[in-house]
Amino acid sequence: MTLLALGLTLVLLAGAAARLLERRAGMADLAFRWGMLTGCLTGIAGAVQALGSPEAAAPTAGPGVWFGLDPLSAWFTVMFLGVGSTIAVYGTHYMARERPRRQVGSAHLLLAVLMIGLTGVVTARTIVAFLAAWEVMAISAWLLVIFDREHAEVRRAGLVYLVLTHTATIALFGMFAAWSGAIGGGTFADLATAALDDRTPVALVSTLGLIGFGIKAGVVPGHIWLPGAHAAAPSHISALLSGVMLKVGIYGLLRMVMLLGPPPVWWGWLVLLLGLGSAVLGVLWALAQHDLKRLLAYHSVENIGIILLGLGVGALGSAYNQPVVALLGVTGALLHSLNHSLFKSLLFFGAGAVQRVAGTREIDRLGGLARRMPRTAGAFLIASIAIVGLPPLNGFLSEWVIFRGLLEAGGTAGTLRLASVAAAGLVLAGALALACFSKLHGVVFLGVPRGTPEPARGADHGLVAPQLTLAAACIAIGVLPVLVLPTATRIAAGVLHEPDTAGVMSAVAGSATAISLATLVLLALGLMVWGLRAASRAREIVRSGTTWGCAFPSTTGRAQHTASSYAASLLSVFGPFSGSRQVMGPAGLAVHVADPVLDRLAQPTWDRVRETAFRLRRIQTGRIVWYLTYVIAALLGLLLYLWWGAAS
Amino acid sequence: MSDFPYYSVLALLAVLIVAPALPGIANRTKSALTGRRGAPVLQLYRDLARLWRKGVVYSQTTTAIFRLGPIVLLAATLLAAALLPLDGRRALLSFPGDLVAFAGLLGLGRFGMALAAMDTGSSFEGMGASREVTVASFAEPALFLCFIVLVLATGRLDLTGMYGLPLHDAWPVAAPSLVLAAGSLFIVTLAETCRVPVDDPLTHLELTMIHEVMVLDHSGPDLALILYAGAVKMALFAALVAGVLLPRASQPPGVAIAALLLGLVVVAVAIGVVESVTSRLRMNRVPQLLIAASALAGFALILLLR
Repeated sequence: MTLLALGLTLVLLAGAAARLLERRAGMADLAFRWGMLTGCLTGIAGAVQALGSPEAAAPTAGPGVWFGLDPLSAWFTVMFLGVGSTIAVYGTHYMARERPRRQVGSAHLLLAVLMIGLTGVVTARTIVAFLAAWEVMAISAWLLVIFDREHAEVRRAGLVYLVLTHTATIALFGMFAAWSGAIGGGTFADLATAALDDRTPVALVSTLGLIGFGIKAGVVPGHIWLPGAHAAAPSHISALLSGVMLKVGIYGLLRMVMLLGPPPVWWGWLVLLLGLGSAVLGVLWALAQHDLKRLLAYHSVENIGIILLGLGVGALGSAYNQPVVALLGVTGALLHSLNHSLFKSLLFFGAGAVQRVAGTREIDRLGGLARRMPRTAGAFLIASIAIVGLPPLNGFLSEWVIFRGLLEAGGTAGTLRLASVAAAGLVLAGALALACFSKLHGVVFLGVPRGTPEPARGADHGLVAPQLTLAAACIAIGVLPVLVLPTATRIAAGVLHEPDTAGVMSAVAGSATAISLATLVLLALGLMVWGLRAASRAREIVRSGTTWGCAFPSTTGRAQHTASSYAASLLSVFGPFSGSRQVMGPAGLAVHVADPVLDRLAQPTWDRVRETAFRLRRIQTGRIVWYLTYVIAALLGLLLYLWWGAAS
Repeated sequence: MSDFPYYSVLALLAVLIVAPALPGIANRTKSALTGRRGAPVLQLYRDLARLWRKGVVYSQTTTAIFRLGPIVLLAATLLAAALLPLDGRRALLSFPGDLVAFAGLLGLGRFGMALAAMDTGSSFEGMGASREVTVASFAEPALFLCFIVLVLATGRLDLTGMYGLPLHDAWPVAAPSLVLAAGSLFIVTLAETCRVPVDDPLTHLELTMIHEVMVLDHSGPDLALILYAGAVKMALFAALVAGVLLPRASQPPGVAIAALLLGLVVVAVAIGVVESVTSRLRMNRVPQLLIAASALAGFALILLLR
């Protein structure tokens, strides 16, 4: 805990240095990069200690009452600070070019504050500390989202984010008020001990918590703030929002389950259904997007859905008293949170580099970038394989754990068996993700450039090292599951208060070895096929030519398949659910996208409310005599009410 | 080393050797039923041998991904083959939840090929890749629903158990579900192996192709790898169908392997019969067929859950 505090102090100092040294760009960058790196690594060193050990008895005084580290907090702290350190390095390079136009130092300071807020949320031990850190996080994130505030759409995205994040905050205030009001205590330790008796209003607390944390995590339909905010923010901030900040919602749900004890059955089913909906709808809406960063943002909705599937089946297992199902579900949720933070940050780094080099995020105007930025293209490919959940990378590992939880549920007796059907939905989401990322990587990095050649805008220098670091982490976890799987299972056992984990632990460890072995075999098979291929006579007779164009060789890159046409046949199957409309023009296909919840439901509803409010404005005449009339009318009304009450 | 799975290795080798004959059998059935002579059953072996000796042409547009695609496809397909208990007893590699890895490996191969197609910058191949992933998006849930039926029927989470003795024991109690699942698996097989009514391997117009147009630019040994991987994939799916209808775990190993090979031939003939009696579906009808397959598996599930 001391090391963590020291690390966060360093992070704050680094941010402050970046702001104060604004005039001396080189020194500011140097101070910020190394300060953030050392700070984050120091903090990780502190948190790793707590990863293995159960929390000591809560102290009754001192700072330990407000903040503390147990394995669950430590898991998220390590994740946040680890990804955060790469984000800081990337951000330093990414923002350096903005310097003449903008106060880059402020952005760096806000980033440091946001990191502290995030860590504060996951280490808070009292309700007040939790809510305070929550607001620090929400407000600093808002200021970063509107960093480019001269664009109208950025301001709109910021407004939507602000409204939604405070809706979440209100729900959390309600939750904690109901909870601590019922049991009379303000620390998490109080809440945990109260779980033993029946005073906690479980239904109210778990509903409000699901609303508050669900909006923060971006669960459909609370996701509407997410695509706009992620697209509007600078790319390294998008990585932080998507890779890290969404996980705060997941942490909140896990902490709530931990403090409440086994959740009600209906809550588990609700979470499972919300997860299923988010997973399938998120990827479907992603498929239709034209903007690189909006597409990635919708994929966050999908991945949060997958995490929620794990959490839901975990909660169900706990409610139906099936410890194996419960442990696998929660372990999968924890692992997928970690993995998503790695590969999604990596994808946003790639998107930022693409924007730097090509000058646009419009997918249908890109193409052939693998030649100009091969290392970014390679890292993006690794992240794509990971996010689709294909073996042998980390995305497969966590989805496999969740699948196994769902299938184990199918092996039990009673209603819980129904949960196994959700596995088919998860497969659908995975298959659609494959379609989406083969489209994205293929259109952006492969082929030839579309449209007029862009002027050379610079390269991805300095943006590559953080990408390679995250790619290496994705590979390491995928190839060696034993690095994370036992720890995650132990933490899941803590969340569920499951004392007997030996059976699951040994089963999981055996499978981890099998997965590592399978990865090795896959590598060996690949090398074998490659060797055979190299031994064929063909290597002597290689010719180079133009792409076969079926007797009509194409002369322009614009004749390539576009992202819109790639997704069109798939989207048309889903009709109105696809969040897009296809229009066949005389010379091409246009796909119009709109978020089904924000643009078709929330915005029209809000417009109606505003119209009604404007109509009511007629009673605001601005003349005293009318206001006095209203006061007297209200008075008379109250008197009548009293009289009527007394009479009856 | 007394428990070394000799028979699993033997079965795997047998399947890998026999695989290229299966498309030939299907095509021969079709030509026989439509009154033509048709190509020899062993034609694909000759094609593979000829392609292996040929040179290759690479488009200037392509990167390393184009060359890696076929290698990834074949390696992933071979590993998927090692996950199936082909001798009816055990797979070479087995762990709980390996069915997810099986589906994932086939997905990895598809991902590699779709990217290789996009790498050429050809609109034809982009179209092929787009169609391939569209079909797969509906075939995979159906496949998985069939797997869930087997999981619920046998109570096992590994392919070795799902297709082993527990399946044998499940037949008397869950026969209707298993028959429905086998039907659904057969439709998925048609889709995954690019046969009529989903795709027509013998079509001659690029605009109407799915799988063939995706590999338009591959030539020589690269194309041989792709064709061989396709044949192995057909054998794997035929083994999935045959394995449900014909549980072999209680037979002696030699008989089990012979029964497997017989099953592969029967499924290939069945594919040929379907190709002769139906015409190809319009492209936008294909998802409906596969959703119907999912519904079939869904009914099987309901029968099990009741």
